[in-house]
Amino acid sequence: MTNEPKRPRRGTTRRRRQTYTYYNRPVFIPEGYLIVGRIVGVHGLKGEVKVELHTDFPERFAPGAVMYLGEELIPVTLTSVRPHKGRLLVGLEGVEGRPAAEELRGEWLYIPEEEAKELEEGVYWIHDLLGLTVQTEEGRPLGVIKDVLVTGANDVYVVEVQEGVNQGRDLLIPAIADVVQEVDLERGIMTVRLLPGMEEEARPPKKPRKRKPGRKPAPPRADRSEGAGDGQG
Amino acid sequence: MSRSLKKGPYVNPKLLKKIEEMNRTGERKVIKTWSRASTIFPQFVGHTIAIHDGRRHVPIYITENMVGHKLGEFAPTRYFRGHIKSEKGSRARRR
Repeated sequence: MTNEPKRPRRGTTRRRRQTYTYYNRPVFIPEGYLIVGRIVGVHGLKGEVKVELHTDFPERFAPGAVMYLGEELIPVTLTSVRPHKGRLLVGLEGVEGRPAAEELRGEWLYIPEEEAKELEEGVYWIHDLLGLTVQTEEGRPLGVIKDVLVTGANDVYVVEVQEGVNQGRDLLIPAIADVVQEVDLERGIMTVRLLPGMEEEARPPKKPRKRKPGRKPAPPRADRSEGAGDGQG
Repeated sequence: MSRSLKKGPYVNPKLLKKIEEMNRTGERKVIKTWSRASTIFPQFVGHTIAIHDGRRHVPIYITENMVGHKLGEFAPTRYFRGHIKSEKGSRARRR
């Protein structure tokens, strides 16, 4: 692989692409593929690369596994894998020496969607959940899932609300059985049961502050604006 | 220096009072709290508490293995930005 031109000119692949962003930078993911990792650097002189994992199944990275590299989906075989500081050090077939590995910095590693692992019941791919319409059991539409927060406990779905829901603020829905009643990916609908206290209540209007006794009343607004204008002009 | 054992673990008394009241009445509702430093007591298990992360209240369902930790540990103040089409899943329901 080192002797071949590494990357054909942009726009030569004919696959349809969808756009995603990763820390505000666009990431192109060819249709029918999933991201499993990203090459973030190199290690040593023998051509090993540092891989940041983007998969729930790190065991996928094993010697002999085949993945697809970069937007051009160049197939690469993994020759060695070892953990290092929360990442993996991976040897790739055909990448000999540090200079060859340096060229791969920043590239994404893909797998075809059909090779993705089977999920347990009640678990969904995050990219499938984004964009689902959320409604209550009574059929009241709430909004659309725009983000998934991964906390130390349950995941939380951030719903961009429709007008008149939750005082216009994003609604946070915990991914727990009491709340999430049904996920229908085909229809694109998630049905939830809101617990009391989950929605923002309308705040009562603020009471006007009482002035301290003995202070002069403030001059009318028109006078104050004239004074300010004089000072600056 | 760690907290004196004589005092016991810290919990916001108002929060504990609300939880105990709900346990007495059997009511289930989401309680908002700003007290990230409160320790999770066994009484909290099974309740959903909306913990402030500096910007909004993140609803967290308290389970048994969270007892003894602080509430703030479960509402990160910085979040991962950019879910791409990767092999990552989210458990939407627990059976």
